[in-house]
Order: sequence, then C-alpha cells, then structure tokens
Amino acid sequence: MTALNCRGRSTETLRLYGRSRGLPAAFAFLLLTAALAAWAADWLVGHPHYGYGARVPVVVFGPLLASAAVGTSLHTPSDELDRLSVGPWWPRRLAHLLGLTALAGLVLALAVPGEPDRYGAAAMVRNLLGATGGSALAAVALGARASWLPMCLYTGSVYLSAPRTRTGAATSWAWPMQPGPEPGAWVTAGTLFVVGVGLHAWRGVRREGR
Amino acid sequence: MSARIGAATSGVRVAGLTVRHRRTVALDAVELDLDTGVHGLLGPNGAGKTSLIRVLATVAPPTEGRIELLGLDISAHQERTEVRRRLGYLPQEFGYYPGFTVREFVSYVAWLKEMPAHSVPRAVERAVERVGLAGRLDAKVKTLSGGMARRVGIAQALVNEPDLLLLDEPTAGLDPEQRVEFRALLRELGATSTVIVSTHLVEDVAVACGQVTLIDSGRVAYRGTTASLTELGGTADPTASGAGSPADSPQTSSPSSPIERGYTAALRAHRDAVTRGKQ
Repeated sequence: MTALNCRGRSTETLRLYGRSRGLPAAFAFLLLTAALAAWAADWLVGHPHYGYGARVPVVVFGPLLASAAVGTSLHTPSDELDRLSVGPWWPRRLAHLLGLTALAGLVLALAVPGEPDRYGAAAMVRNLLGATGGSALAAVALGARASWLPMCLYTGSVYLSAPRTRTGAATSWAWPMQPGPEPGAWVTAGTLFVVGVGLHAWRGVRREGR
Repeated sequence: MSARIGAATSGVRVAGLTVRHRRTVALDAVELDLDTGVHGLLGPNGAGKTSLIRVLATVAPPTEGRIELLGLDISAHQERTEVRRRLGYLPQEFGYYPGFTVREFVSYVAWLKEMPAHSVPRAVERAVERVGLAGRLDAKVKTLSGGMARRVGIAQALVNEPDLLLLDEPTAGLDPEQRVEFRALLRELGATSTVIVSTHLVEDVAVACGQVTLIDSGRVAYRGTTASLTELGGTADPTASGAGSPADSPQTSSPSSPIERGYTAALRAHRDAVTRGKQ
C-alpha cells in the first residue's frame, strides 16, 4: 500500500513538473516532427528524380525542429519560485534534457530507419545531439525562449554554404550535412551535446524579463 | 559550526549586508534584527526593498555581509536548504504556469519545498482557504482576476506554514475588502511567525505591522514601532510635502495621515543626516 502511494505521489510530481515546462506540447511537437520527417524522407527517396542524397534536408532540419522543442521546453514561467526549491535543480535539469533528447532520438531514428544510404538513423541521431547541445548552450546564454535561434542561423548557414566535398575541417564545422558514419561530425556534435547539457545542468537557463 | 550573529534561533539577523547590481549599490551595509511579529518594510521606489526581500528569500546572493534566518547561517548550503523548507515567499511578480489550476500551482510549490507528500493535499486546501479562494481550487490560474491571482501567490507562500514569511507588495491588486481580510490574516500569521511585508501602502503597515523599517537608497533610514512612526507624524509639520519627488511618497487614501507624515519626516531626517555626514 505504501509502495503504491509512493508511486502515485511520484507520478503526480512528474505530472506537475512536466506540465510546468509544457512537456505535453513538446511531446506532441516531437511526434509531429518525426511523422513529417518520415513522410518527407519516403517521398524524396521515392521520387524518380531524387536519390538518397535528397534526404539531406530531412536529416538536417528534422533534428533542428526537434531541438527547438527541447530548448524551449527549458523555459520556466516562474523562475523566482523555482529558485526556492529545497532540492538541487541540476539532477532535474539533466533528467529533463536527457529524457527528452532520448525520446526525440527514438522517434526521429524510427522516422528514417537504417542508413539508406547514410542519411538514415545515425545521421539523424547525431544531428539531434548536436542541435540539442547547441540549443541548451543558447538557453544558458540567451534564455530558453530564444534558444532555437542560434542553431537555426548556424544550420541555415551551413546548409547554404557547406562544400560538396567531405574532407578536412568541413566534416567538423559542417557536421549537420555529413553522412551518418563521418567521425569528425560525430566529434563536433557529441562535444556540443556534452558541453550544452553539462552547462545547462550546472547553470540553468538565463533569467528572462529582467 | 559557524559563529552566530546573535543567540536567537528565530527571526532575521542581518549584519553588513551589501548588494550590488553591476555598478549600482542596491543595499549598503544594512543591519537588521527582526523577531516574531509582522514587520513593515517601507521606502521609495528603488530604495532596495525588493533586493532585501530577494536576498532574505535566498533567491539572490548578497555581495557582502552575513545573514542568519531562523537561527541558521544561509551562506552554508545545508542550512540554506533547511531555511527554505521553513520559508514562504511571495515575489513582486511570480508568474504562473500556463494551464495550472490553483490546486496544481500550490501543490507544485509544496513539492518544491519537499513537504511530506501525504500532507500536501490538506495543506494546499488550507492555504487556499486562508486567502478566501476555497471555491476556486480547481479553476485555472490564468482565468482569475489580478487580485485573485495575487491571493493564489499568497496561498503558495503559506502552504508550508512558514516560520519566516516574506511578502513583496502583497496587497497590489487587492480590493479594499480583500485588503482588510489580508491584514487580519497577517496579524494572525505574525502571532507565531516572522512576517516581513514590503509595501508602498502605509495603511497596510499602520493596520497590520507592529514594527516598521524604512529603507532609503539602500540604507536603513528608520527603525521602530508603527506607533512611534505615527507619533513622529503627529509632531512633524503636516504641510511637509515629502522628502523628494511625489513618487517618493507612499500611497495612501489619506495623504495627511499621521503615519504618512511620520514616514516623510523620518525620510527627511535620514537624508539630512546623510547630507550632513558628507559635508
């Protein structure tokens, strides 16, 4: 009975925390993004004039949209009251970002399963990690509500300016455009994710409206 | 164990508290010693009242100085955590979570304060009842009027039955009837807790507070009982228009009330003393 009560209370606590951060809307947005990515990837590959390379915009902009949902979910409407918390915030911040990223990674990977051909699940997950890390960094520096902006600008610039050849430094700085197994791209995206998530867990988002 | 500022284990002890926001000094070596009861915090706009309340609420760090709340030194992490369990705080602007009902909002704050989960439902109902919103427990906060939302803010501050209650402009947006009820609630709370009310409304202080502290330009300009501040107004020149701009004057429905004159006289005396000190 006590165990049941404890579980009920934990569920209620999770529910309140989730609603305080608008997580139901973020979940819905992630599912919609994944569905859209699945449809777009299928349509592009099935088109007689396009090949697998046509999936590039899907693996670039799908994770970008998902990272925007994750980043804006870090916003709290009452930062002043949250600061009164008796318990430390860093484990909650860490769980929030890791949990939401895992969910986004799962649904986006399912949207483009396998590696057809190399713009598949691996590229999608890598780009999600990098974009989420970038959004988390932006949330710490600018605030959660504007956290999507720097990654949008960067990704848009890279999409327009990345070289066709996949050699040298471009595999690192143009990481969103690289095929799944490219090590340089994974290093950049992984570093962004670790630094972004770590800094957010440590500092939290920048206060807004003051 | 860190050295204590005083021997008491309740209330607020502040020594040499300085708060700077970039180049601006919000609080300048403030000394305070407050025990159980209702304490009014008065002062002109920008005097440093909100800075003081935020530091006491442990949501903003001091630049210098020592702060002891409920007998605990809040510079130590563990003691600060213990204080937060026993603290209630109404910020000037608290915001609210979209979609939350009154019950959910107050429950969320109870969770932040790590109240025992089995006691939360009853504590939430009691806090909401105390601010007169029992009939609105399941209404969405965003559908409430400004005054009602303010009362929800007061309810969240009361949910853990705090030993130290910090209220920043609590009566803003309340209608006269609600204000009268709220002052009665303050007096009730002050019987067992240390309550600090930052306000522009001198009437709130006159009716609900036993002690008053006047802050001006980050310094304590006056400390005493509400009766002594009122007395000061009784003997001061009733035609004195104020110590500064009209914005410096507290808001009251009776601009020539003795306590308002006392406020003005105390502020003027403090500023004269500061000016003399500089010469």
